Amino acid sequence: MKAVFLLQWRKFYRQPLLVLAMFVLTIIFVSVSAAGGEDEPVFVPVYTESMKQEQALEWVERLNDEKQFAFKWMLPSEARSYVAEGDVPQAVELMEADYRLLVGREDPARLALDSMLRRVYSEELRFENAAQDVPEIRELMDSALSDPVLKLSAGSLQGNGDGDKLQLLFGMTLFFVIYTIMFSLVRIVDEKRTGTWNRMILSPVRKWQMYFGHLGFSFLIGFSQISLIFLLFRYAFGFEMGDRFWLLIAIAACYTFSIVALGLLIISLIAKPQQLSAVIPIVATGMAMVGGAFWPIELVTNEVLLTVSKVLPITYGLEALTSVAVYGNGLPSVATSLVMLLGFGGICTAIGIRLLEWRSVS
Amino acid sequence: MLETDKLTKKFKDTLAVDDVSLELRKGESVGLLGPNGAGKSTAIAMISTLLKPSSGDVRLHGKSVLKDPGDMRRVLGVVPQKIALYEELSAYENLKFFGRLYGLSGKKLEQRIGYVLDLVGLADRKKELVKHYSGGMQRRVNLAAAMMHEPEVLIMDEPTVGIDPQSRNHLLETIRRLNREEGMTVLYTSHYMEEVEKLCDRVYIMDHGKVIAQGTKEKLKAILSDQETVWIEFDQSYPELFKKLSEIEGVQHADADERSLKLIIPKGMRLLASLFHEAERHGAQVTNVHVQTPTLEDVFLRLTGRTLRD
Ligand SMILES: Nc1ncnc2c1ncn2[C@@H]1O[C@H](COP(=O)(O)OP(=O)(O)O)[C@@H](O)[C@H]1O
Ligand SMILES: [Mg+2]
Repeated sequence: MKAVFLLQWRKFYRQPLLVLAMFVLTIIFVSVSAAGGEDEPVFVPVYTESMKQEQALEWVERLNDEKQFAFKWMLPSEARSYVAEGDVPQAVELMEADYRLLVGREDPARLALDSMLRRVYSEELRFENAAQDVPEIRELMDSALSDPVLKLSAGSLQGNGDGDKLQLLFGMTLFFVIYTIMFSLVRIVDEKRTGTWNRMILSPVRKWQMYFGHLGFSFLIGFSQISLIFLLFRYAFGFEMGDRFWLLIAIAACYTFSIVALGLLIISLIAKPQQLSAVIPIVATGMAMVGGAFWPIELVTNEVLLTVSKVLPITYGLEALTSVAVYGNGLPSVATSLVMLLGFGGICTAIGIRLLEWRSVS
Repeated sequence: MLETDKLTKKFKDTLAVDDVSLELRKGESVGLLGPNGAGKSTAIAMISTLLKPSSGDVRLHGKSVLKDPGDMRRVLGVVPQKIALYEELSAYENLKFFGRLYGLSGKKLEQRIGYVLDLVGLADRKKELVKHYSGGMQRRVNLAAAMMHEPEVLIMDEPTVGIDPQSRNHLLETIRRLNREEGMTVLYTSHYMEEVEKLCDRVYIMDHGKVIAQGTKEKLKAILSDQETVWIEFDQSYPELFKKLSEIEGVQHADADERSLKLIIPKGMRLLASLFHEAERHGAQVTNVHVQTPTLEDVFLRLTGRTLRD
């Protein structure tokens, strides 16, 4: 087994390009996108046609409390020309009990802007309704909030300040490592094609040692990739990842195992190297999209996709990583995810090896 | 020491190997000759325990290897038809890996690598990547890799396909030396009869999965002892004349090429008079006439009515 395992490193040493490319791509994607997110909050012009100025300014103040966007009150004509000239993708028109978005061009932040506005509006409207019965409700609420009966330390959906950046980092890392792992497993297919696999069978080395030599390498190369990237972003780029770094690494190990196993299953189903080089990107991208590597899974509402995401290892990997790094949870809260990853991996390995052997015998 | 007993392999509806019984004695060099698709590779895969027979048995020292392939695998060095090497690694790295599979390490491993590299004449180019080698050099490493664990029996499946004459001679010379000087038992598969004829003491001829003839070269050629092969060369192609000559009474077989014709005739038949007569009539010029002793190729032709390259 050791010989088979070491051979894979030898081959890696001779042809390191693919793995290095995945490593570098992750870093580039994360740092470029995260750098964009680190700017000032996005500037959004606000105007009104129907409200009084003081009332409108109050609203702007209330909206700016959220700190997610920088709202600025201006005259309707001014706001319109901002949008018309494409300086901003959108502006907000405030009304008594509603708001409207003046849209110039497509913008990825619109979804977040819209949901935030809706939330603030419905909160405020509820307050107003309640205030008709209990005039001092706002004061009561404020004092209750500053002295709560129950203190919860969990953050909001955004969690700690680096939440978005972390989601991006985890998503991209778990996505690109799928390529590294699965393409390293294609070597098994290549060995069977060229006949070096038969040479190994003829030697005293056992079948399971041959498989484990390969799987061990794929695991280690994938695991190293994730770990190195986490270390790099934590220590060199200063990403805040919570106090349980070791738990992140443990999650990475479980996730890597599940992807190695899935890769094994895939090569047991698809024997031709050319087909594999088409299937692997489809699997990687598909899983990443549905599992929430490209955007938070909270944005997915389609029932079918949500159900599918429940059987994808990447969903559990991301869930666990986010839970630990963003919300500061410990092992108990991610135990289920880890068990799912390990179980998934175990099942795929068993089926994969069985299929590979069954095929080579017949 | 090694034998197969009514070995048979059926793939869906092709009977690739049909009732083949071979025998290999210690120190012998045995040829397995047959055209493409005859079933040679399939037979070898079963002998080397890589493929399960549909029926029949493979025995080493009288003991079946189907249940427990371990002994057989230790004794055999298998040179596959395809080049089974890691081409992104150097020859040295390949050999080192295959040696390690057999538990070799340290000085012993280095010595063995040195020995097999000398054997195939690649010692001075061992650091180059296999993919940068010529086809012939790759074939030589393919042989070297099968020699790492000091096998007693070397089984080669068409080891010279698609290589330059120089590499081919080197390879054949190496195998001959292993057999004659080191007492290595050799099973050599090929569809080139010259190779088998040069290398092997005994020959099995296979066609359509069956062994159609076997024995020493002399014995096989004795099949043709009552025949002669006449090889006639013309200044150009004369299809009509060739046809006419093939139909002369007594000619047993004819094989026409571009400008030449090969006829198998009974010994003592007086062919030449009618040959020149017919040539004259067609205005053809005979540039060469050659009466050959039979080759294994002729034996195959006689047995199957086809040439090995068909
Ligand atoms: N794995 C296989 N599945 C189906 N048919 C096969 C397989 N391997 C070989 N054959 C068939 O068996 C016959 C013998 O093939 P092979 O042993 O490779 O011949 P040779 O080595 O003499 O050229 C051929 O007709 C070939 O198509
Ligand atoms: Mg063959």
